Amino acid sequence: MSGLSVRDLQGWYGESQALHGMNFEVARGEVVTLLGRNGAGKTTTLRAIMGLLRKRSGEVRFGGENLIGRMPEYIARRGIAYCPEERGIFASLTVEENLFLPPVVAEGGMALDDIYTLFPNIAERRNSQGTKLSGGEQQMLAIARILRTGATLLLLDEPTEGLAPVIVQQIGTVIRKLKERGFTVLLVEQNVRFASRLADRHYVVEHGTVIDTLTAADVAGDFERIQNYLKV
Amino acid sequence: MMTLLGISPQLLFGQVLIGLINGVFYAMMSLGVAIIFGMLRIGNFVHGAQYMLGAFGAWYLMHLPDLFPGLGLPSLGYWWALILVPLAVGAIGAIMERLFIRRVYDLEHAYGLLLTVGLAMVIEGLFNVGYGAAGQQYDIPGSLRGGVNLGFMFLPNYRLWVIVAGISVCIATWYTIERTRLGAYLRAATENPDLVRAFGINVPRMLMLTYAFGVGLAGLAGVMAAPIYQVSPQMGQSIIITIFAVVVIGGMGSISGAIFTGLMLGMIEGLTKVFWPQASTTVIFVIMAIVLVFRPAGLFGKETVAAHAADMSTARPDGILENGRLWLVILGIGGAVLPFLVYPVFGMKILCLALFACAYNLIFGYVGLLAFGHAAFYGSSAYVAAYTAASWGFPTELAILSGVAMATLIGALFGWLAIRRQGLYFAMITLALAQLVYFYAIQAPWTHGEDGIQSVPRGYLFGFIDLSQPLNMYYFVLTVFLIGFAAIYRIVRSPFGQVLKSIRENEPRAVSLGYSTDRFKLIAFTLSAMLAGLAGGTKAIVFQIASLADLYFMTSADALLMTLIGGVGTLLGPVVGAVIVVTMQKEFATLGSWVIVVQGSAFVLCVLFLRKGVVGTLEDWLAARAERRRIASGGAPAPVAKGVHS
Amino acid sequence: MTTPAGDNIIEARGLTKRFHGFSAVSGVDLDVRRHSIHALIGPNGAGKTTFFNLITKVLQPSEGTIRFNGEDITDESPARVARRGIVRSFQISAIFPRMTVAENVRIALQRPTGVSFRFWQSERTLSLLESRVDELLDAVGLLPLRDQTAAGLPYGRKRALELATTLALEPELLLLDEPTSGLGGEDVERISALIRQVAANRTILMVEHNLSVVARLADKITVLARGKVLAEGPYSDVSTDPRVIEAYIGGDE
Ligand SMILES: Nc1ncnc2c1ncn2[C@@H]1O[C@H](COP(=O)(O)OP(=O)(O)OP(=O)(O)O)[C@@H](O)[C@H]1O
Ligand SMILES: Nc1ncnc2c1ncn2[C@@H]1O[C@H](COP(=O)(O)OP(=O)(O)OP(=O)(O)O)[C@@H](O)[C@H]1O
Ligand SMILES: [Mg+2]
Ligand SMILES: [Mg+2]
Repeated sequence: MSGLSVRDLQGWYGESQALHGMNFEVARGEVVTLLGRNGAGKTTTLRAIMGLLRKRSGEVRFGGENLIGRMPEYIARRGIAYCPEERGIFASLTVEENLFLPPVVAEGGMALDDIYTLFPNIAERRNSQGTKLSGGEQQMLAIARILRTGATLLLLDEPTEGLAPVIVQQIGTVIRKLKERGFTVLLVEQNVRFASRLADRHYVVEHGTVIDTLTAADVAGDFERIQNYLKV
Repeated sequence: MMTLLGISPQLLFGQVLIGLINGVFYAMMSLGVAIIFGMLRIGNFVHGAQYMLGAFGAWYLMHLPDLFPGLGLPSLGYWWALILVPLAVGAIGAIMERLFIRRVYDLEHAYGLLLTVGLAMVIEGLFNVGYGAAGQQYDIPGSLRGGVNLGFMFLPNYRLWVIVAGISVCIATWYTIERTRLGAYLRAATENPDLVRAFGINVPRMLMLTYAFGVGLAGLAGVMAAPIYQVSPQMGQSIIITIFAVVVIGGMGSISGAIFTGLMLGMIEGLTKVFWPQASTTVIFVIMAIVLVFRPAGLFGKETVAAHAADMSTARPDGILENGRLWLVILGIGGAVLPFLVYPVFGMKILCLALFACAYNLIFGYVGLLAFGHAAFYGSSAYVAAYTAASWGFPTELAILSGVAMATLIGALFGWLAIRRQGLYFAMITLALAQLVYFYAIQAPWTHGEDGIQSVPRGYLFGFIDLSQPLNMYYFVLTVFLIGFAAIYRIVRSPFGQVLKSIRENEPRAVSLGYSTDRFKLIAFTLSAMLAGLAGGTKAIVFQIASLADLYFMTSADALLMTLIGGVGTLLGPVVGAVIVVTMQKEFATLGSWVIVVQGSAFVLCVLFLRKGVVGTLEDWLAARAERRRIASGGAPAPVAKGVHS
Repeated sequence: MTTPAGDNIIEARGLTKRFHGFSAVSGVDLDVRRHSIHALIGPNGAGKTTFFNLITKVLQPSEGTIRFNGEDITDESPARVARRGIVRSFQISAIFPRMTVAENVRIALQRPTGVSFRFWQSERTLSLLESRVDELLDAVGLLPLRDQTAAGLPYGRKRALELATTLALEPELLLLDEPTSGLGGEDVERISALIRQVAANRTILMVEHNLSVVARLADKITVLARGKVLAEGPYSDVSTDPRVIEAYIGGDE
């Protein structure tokens, strides 16, 4: 299976255009980040890939197939999983029901025990109501939930937001492990320090387009450059 | 044989049994309503009509040869009906979901409520045209005739079958939804359908099937009911509000609660018939009120995540259409010349209903509470005004004020009971409470039942202005309307109104700023009831009658319809809505029994095509035009506001 | 008022909150000194937000007492506590989306004036609040945007607006739940500066995961873990405490 390739992706909220032709590649097994200021269009890009943004055009190729025009449920079954920015934990479900909600779409997902080892809080609170979890626990649950499904491409929107530093490090470790296992990850991050330690490549997004591409080496050498992009 | 309080065991057990049978139907029906509410967030008001379809379906199958002579169709009996009809009714449900219900999932509850009320009116209206009020007979199937003698009473086989089969169906449904993965999918899909789809689940299809299933249950209940009750177009209408009350008592969204409560209440109702027959129609609503005081979430309801207030105001506060002073003058002048253009009676009807709709808009549009029982305030005020004027000889102004006082009192009481709830729950509670008043009026001697209080004297205003003169009466009503209109404008644009607005926007935040939000909502609700009472009392004097129609739930639905057609939360919307609705009713009055169908279609069309209402749409258009002009004259476009979620 | 207010604005004793047998906060004693910035940190699920909810009475404690300025407030209602001068911000920004920026602030200013139940007065009686509205908006840099609807503001500005609204109540004690979460680098700077600025003459208790913000702002830090106080003291002490490193900060790879 090949990776994800996005060509001239445009997207609209009603009449207002939020994406003005995004172009980027994520090869299989890579970790790639989208960086950019608040409102640059990172979340919108993920939603457009997932089919949650209905009004979109251009090309989103995954496994050779163009996903533009497909419904979200179809796209999910092709092996793409999405962890939204606002976490999307279901209040009417228990923690465990939340965890088991996404159907398994392929083999190779993470085993339940591994997930519980990774996120002990979740194991402990498995019978509580989903939204009774603390903010950070909800974030963990949102990530844990999509690791089970066997999707090969993970879209993670600011997964470290609101997490304790020690957990942020753990998530970093998880993403690295996922990469070793052959998962492909497209990550949206504001925490540049965190992103720079993980990603093979960074795309800087501004006004709904990619304005620069940085390799891991670029960033290591020139942390300033990336910081500058994120300043106002 | 021993007797209990002079009541023979035969009678007692007989009534309990009848109660239990009713309870089985309550349970099956409220189960469907609870599923559709819990999973789809739709208050399925057509459920009664769908139940009626089930009963008629059975009857049709039985009479196939008579209905289609010459085709050589067989007459299909009860057992066929038991299988085919729920499927067919379910399929009709699926089509209705596809065509109508689906379009309101993302909208406020008010639209779903009005839509399903409209659909119910269309369906029941059509059957009414075809069959009138007369009931059709459906025989008990041969294999279930007879019965068993329990010693103390005779238990007919068919009733036994209904009890066993009904309860089994309920339990099987409960199991499927609470104990399998399906329930989790459904609950998740109601919260955030997009995300569930992004996990790979075909949510639209799932919701359609769920709706179809709930409706199918109603169809099944209809088939089972056919041999017991009369098969008539009205059979669903009389049960649906009771069902809503059952769902409220059981606890919104609780499947097991709906089943258990349905059975219990059926039996309690049966017992009440034995000991206190007059109270049997109201006992369920009284129980609901008591339960709400002690357990606001219902007997089995979980304390739900606080639903946000309905946020559907379409007003643009700075537009010219929201300038109250200006429009008070314009309406005053327009109102003054109106009786020279149309019959004063017609004008007065518009003014009374416009005031009523404005009062409703105060709580619905400006506070965001979906009240659905304003008929209680309108009607009770009408009755009190009529009674005090006719029987006690109160002067006109005092009679109206007595009505207003009564409406205010009832409003404060109902508000106190309901205010802690929001959304559809609030709607169902206010509806059921209003129904209590309705049933009271049917039975109380002073209201004269079906006849109502007639020949109310118009009297003399302040003792010397003769109101039997049409123009005198008209200008009095106009004055009352303008006072009410001005009062509402003042309330909305007062420091108090600002707080109401903040509550509508974000209640937890308002609390954290130190506002006791329930108290604000209660005051607003009471003010709204008071003004609705002013409209109702005035109406009783104008038309010289107070009748059950004033208290009937359709009056509450009309208030909602007028507000929606005109534009929720706008200053002029309710007035425009009243003009449209009253004109429509006048034009369609000649249609006879079709009138319900036409009116129901109006509800449906309004929800589908006129969501922002006339005034809301106009305000949008004006704002867009102003914006274009500003850009044309060189101004920068205003930033597009990001969509507000949750 | 039997006890003198002393130097502590908040004194929590043995504060405990259980949810169905699970103790989210258990036996916490915590003093907050008047006119200090006090940070509450700890792993996810440590009970920080719950602790806030207990102080603001959104939740009723299972056990323990809370004193505010020496007075027992354990059994008061949330609105009452807010009127006493304890005001909080939320973990997710809480604004009135379809009111203008100025109206957002004004609704908070209006509360102490006691006119809020007057449905018979014109809202123009509120115009004497306008100058204070502008002052507050100016303080958070939102004055140029005063007539925009709040929904259209960028996320960082929404947080600033929320802060301005909160400040309008002249709170003696300000509770901030993750004031910088979800913000980009620049906005974090702005909000931190703002917090320092508003800390004059009042007390701030904040939850924050961004340690550099905590290090810069907080006079004292309490680390919660599993509902209990794990460590307490100035940043330099706490951040080197091995238990805190293990439970919260983590080894820096
Ligand atoms: N539901 C919506 N309706 C209209 N416009 C929207 C909506 N959601 C986002 N936008 C607009 O689209 C643009 C891109 O937003 P997006 O959420 O993708 O940004 P982002 O890069 O993810 O920012 P953040 O770092 O704040 O999450 C912004 O200008 C935003 O205002
Ligand atoms: N209403 C509730 N019912 C049941 N459990 C709850 C409830 N509220 C919180 N909890 C649990 O109590 C614990 C403490 O939650 P709290 O929200 O206080 O954590 P926190 O310290 O704020 O964490 P974070 O940094 O992730 O926001 C968590 O384990 C959470 O799951
Ligand atoms: Mg985003
Ligand atoms: Mg928290």
